[in-house]
Amino acid sequence: MAGIFSRLSAVWHSDLALRFRRNRNAMIGSILVSLVLFVALFGGLFAPYPYDRINMAVIWEPPGAEFLMGTDALGRDVFSRILIGARISMLVAASVLAITFVIGVTLGMIAGYFGGWADTLIMRTVDIIFAFPELILAILVAAVIGTGTGTVIVALSLVWWPGIARLTRSLVLSLREEMYIDAAISSGTHPARILLRHLLPNIASPLIVRASVGVGFIVMAEATLSFLGIGVQEPTPTWGGMIRDGLDSLRTDPHLALYSSLALGITIIGFNMLGDGLRDLFDPKMGER
Amino acid sequence: MLTFIVKRVMGLVPVLLIAVILTFLANQAVPGDPIAALLSDRSGDAVLEARLRAAYGLDRPLLEQFISYIGGILSGDFGLSFRFAQMPVSQLIGEGLLITPLMALAALAIAFPLGVLLGTLAAIRQNSWVDTGIILVLVAGISIPNFAMATGLVYVFALQLRWLPVAGWGSVEQAIMPLTLLIIPTAAYIARLSRTYMLEVLRTDYIRTARAKGVPERVMLLRHALRNTMVPLLTTVGIILGGLLSGTFVVETIFNIPGLGSLAIQAIFARDYPVTMAIVLLFTAFYAGINLLVDLSYGLLDPRIRVGGGGR
Repeated sequence: MAGIFSRLSAVWHSDLALRFRRNRNAMIGSILVSLVLFVALFGGLFAPYPYDRINMAVIWEPPGAEFLMGTDALGRDVFSRILIGARISMLVAASVLAITFVIGVTLGMIAGYFGGWADTLIMRTVDIIFAFPELILAILVAAVIGTGTGTVIVALSLVWWPGIARLTRSLVLSLREEMYIDAAISSGTHPARILLRHLLPNIASPLIVRASVGVGFIVMAEATLSFLGIGVQEPTPTWGGMIRDGLDSLRTDPHLALYSSLALGITIIGFNMLGDGLRDLFDPKMGER
Repeated sequence: MLTFIVKRVMGLVPVLLIAVILTFLANQAVPGDPIAALLSDRSGDAVLEARLRAAYGLDRPLLEQFISYIGGILSGDFGLSFRFAQMPVSQLIGEGLLITPLMALAALAIAFPLGVLLGTLAAIRQNSWVDTGIILVLVAGISIPNFAMATGLVYVFALQLRWLPVAGWGSVEQAIMPLTLLIIPTAAYIARLSRTYMLEVLRTDYIRTARAKGVPERVMLLRHALRNTMVPLLTTVGIILGGLLSGTFVVETIFNIPGLGSLAIQAIFARDYPVTMAIVLLFTAFYAGINLLVDLSYGLLDPRIRVGGGGR
């Protein structure tokens, strides 16, 4: 027990942690992100009603004691739906991050380390995907395989991995000439081991920064698709979809659109600030402001 | 320079060809038979069915359909709508064809100088309250999605103050809110980049030299510093325009503007695939064309790019 405590204390007093606590962006961002992640994980426990319980007797109730944030056109509790909306939002973001990092980092490392025809093939594919506006590709996917949560994940992964691959490739290219890689090669280390044990740890921190900035954009992209109606579908609550529903009745019942806009805004601001803060900490060149 | 231009223009061909193939295949992958949907209550009418199939070219072999699809696109013919029987797609999207690119370009024309101004101001007053204030506004501008921002704008300016109309298209008042919503995130993004580039430039030796030899601050900023932030900023115009195009989908949907974006969304729900695909193609071509112009213009600004053949 004491061991764990002293380990934690060492982490808390380490140089990186100290700079993290001094960085305003990183601190505000991490507080907001922790809040959102807590709601995504445990928010269901605090939801006063099932998110999909329709009650036509209480449609468009204003915020009050019974319904903290009011109800929507079907009498569903907005507060409960916003809590569950956090889970959907984080679920999509986590899936897209996981898929794009596995694909992007693998292909980027292969392209950067081996070069040759594999590099050409991978980078040509990346260039072609980059030639399309992001939302257009997502719409193409939605038109072909139909709308829904799966579509959002597929479409955003398709749009997102090329950027990761390009970043990984450039990082690998700049490390490939390092002495310790030469040493590993000449001592007969298997390429797979070089990639995983020697290169990956050394390119991890820019990738982590990329991931935390990426979450903000993925959350925004998912909300945009859901807002346009080609994303996550009813009755699953998403902030984007709730804003769309709320916008139609903004004149009489603004609470639905306003509260869901607030939830979405706080989430994206949190991830963007955390990303900016981490970039300052990990990238000394950008950090000396 | 000429070979550079020719090389870049030729680079467009594979991208556009792939876009054409993708949209053609997407049209083929339509779930269900579009002709059956068009016939609906007259489904027994074999003569009408044959006539419709011939009109839509669906009675011909796939390869032949593809060739006439490409031929049609080159002459501005995107086939017929699935939703409105035998209505040419080009006629359906004709009106939006001008609205959407014009809105995107107008927003860019305002957002670019505004962003550069804010970014430069923040950079030359680094770490002051001006800088902090601008950064806070920028974080909000970049982070809050435009439809969430629209909620607030419409609520305050259209419903509470009643200064601006809630939706619609055609008058100047109706264009203010949509354009503002396109401009805010774009200007914020440009300002953030502009601030970073400006801070970098202000630390360079040639700025120190200019200061040391007594060049007035204003001249130094305009003639030396600002100019050198323009090349990296120009390279991002493509990305910015991509964001603006996505923005038009949202803004057109919110404000009922009859542009390509809202047409595309309606067409997806109506399963009117030829319309969706025509708009996808047009957006891709527009985006590719702008990126080409950007490439060419920074080839002009920075001779190293011309000679080196591009440094991606």
